[in-house]
Amino acid sequence: MSPEQIVEATLFASQTPLTPREIARADESLDVGVVRTALDGLRERYEGDGRAFQVYQLGDGYQILTRPEFAPYLERFDSVPRPPSLSRAALETLAIIAYRQPLGRIELEEIRGVASASVLRTLQDWELIAVVGRGEGLGRPLLYGTTKHFLDHFALQSLSDLPRAQDLPISLARTTAEEVTESDIGSLVRSPETSEATGSMSGEEVETESR
Amino acid sequence: MEGLSTAVPNRLSSQQSEDTFLVELDRFSGPLELLLHLIRSQDIDIFDIPISQITRQFQAVIESGIEDLELDRAGEFLELAATLIRIKAQLLLPRPDDVQWDEDPRAELVRRLLEYELFQEVAGVLGGAEAERRRHFGKGYLALRQQPEEVRGKLTTTLAELIEVAGAIPEPDPVTTHVAPTRVVTVEEKMSAIRTHLNQTDRLLFSRLFGSWRDREHVVAALLACLELARQQVLRIEQVKRFGFIWLFGDNDRKKSGSGSKTTNKVRPSDASKLTDVHDTETPSELSLAPVDS
Repeated sequence: MSPEQIVEATLFASQTPLTPREIARADESLDVGVVRTALDGLRERYEGDGRAFQVYQLGDGYQILTRPEFAPYLERFDSVPRPPSLSRAALETLAIIAYRQPLGRIELEEIRGVASASVLRTLQDWELIAVVGRGEGLGRPLLYGTTKHFLDHFALQSLSDLPRAQDLPISLARTTAEEVTESDIGSLVRSPETSEATGSMSGEEVETESR
Repeated sequence: MEGLSTAVPNRLSSQQSEDTFLVELDRFSGPLELLLHLIRSQDIDIFDIPISQITRQFQAVIESGIEDLELDRAGEFLELAATLIRIKAQLLLPRPDDVQWDEDPRAELVRRLLEYELFQEVAGVLGGAEAERRRHFGKGYLALRQQPEEVRGKLTTTLAELIEVAGAIPEPDPVTTHVAPTRVVTVEEKMSAIRTHLNQTDRLLFSRLFGSWRDREHVVAALLACLELARQQVLRIEQVKRFGFIWLFGDNDRKKSGSGSKTTNKVRPSDASKLTDVHDTETPSELSLAPVDS
């Protein structure tokens, strides 16, 4: 049995993403490095053979999924209910939590300008966010963060896959602001150092926090 | 005003007072989104918001729709209206020439709007990522439609039982019509079809989506699919006049307005260049929004 075959067997049998470490448990001949090499080999092979599926990375795990162009065929079957696509309010809330975590409900509502208790509950039910701690201050408010499943839901490898603001089209902020001083803008967003540090935050850390 | 008068057929705009916006309050997830919509649709410079104009429009919109809102949601809109009025008052108050504001009274609001808009953009990106992810299927996702179970075995019944059961069967209705089962068309299928079409062409006539079927089920599925895709901001729906052609446009300029304003069938000026102008403008590099750890 080649390592590639063993890795293929584990991925084939699994319904959820597996991390290289989890895959390596399959045999003493495997370690994380060998698994990664095997994963690359599999991907190349599936690509070359024109397979209808491919190995995709979701969070820090890997899973065999069908290629997107086959979605129209699969949608003709009765499929196991997939989570509904999220509402705008839910996406907005997730966006804020993803960038500002850990974050409490009050801070979230200040940014959104609307009450958010029910959307927080829904996102928790879908395991897209989780309580990751308690804040200082009155009542020790619950703090929320994104989960590993959040990465899976959006097919992200890590939080650093999320766009930086400078990559986003911002239709309103095109004018050079004389009236809003630089310090105003600085307080709007976090300092570059922080963003640098967290740019590399991996899905694994996120998961640990959410446990 | 400017935004709408160009966008609404004359017939309508003549009936509207110039400050009235044809927007429905419950379309907006909150007051900030409504405010952003007012600013965007009139091409207003966010760093120089004409507060009294915007306040007037904001009040007009919420007055027209607030009675339909739940109390809590209404309160959220009123709170921002109060903020706007306070800022307006601060700007109106006379002050000696040599006294400067520490900060423009509008600055805090501008900060909130910019921040909110950033997150709306990210939410749009997430929505796109979600749609893409849903096109990948993992194992265990397919279930075949159920077949009736076949039972094999010896027939163990008596003639009397058989007659009894047969007698219990009601007389068939003499004029039963036989309805042939049709394959169920799903909204998902229609959504896939629309995506495929829009990948190949810039715009698509709505009636093309069910043209060959002429079947109510197809029309309904096509409509729901369009609305869902519009909600996901994958496409934009336009109809120039009542009962006119309904066009679907691809997502080329969807980043422009994340507020969902494109889901209305209100007309936009058909030249999209005005929209893309705003979209293409450069982003100030100071605005960085990055994941933050604890």
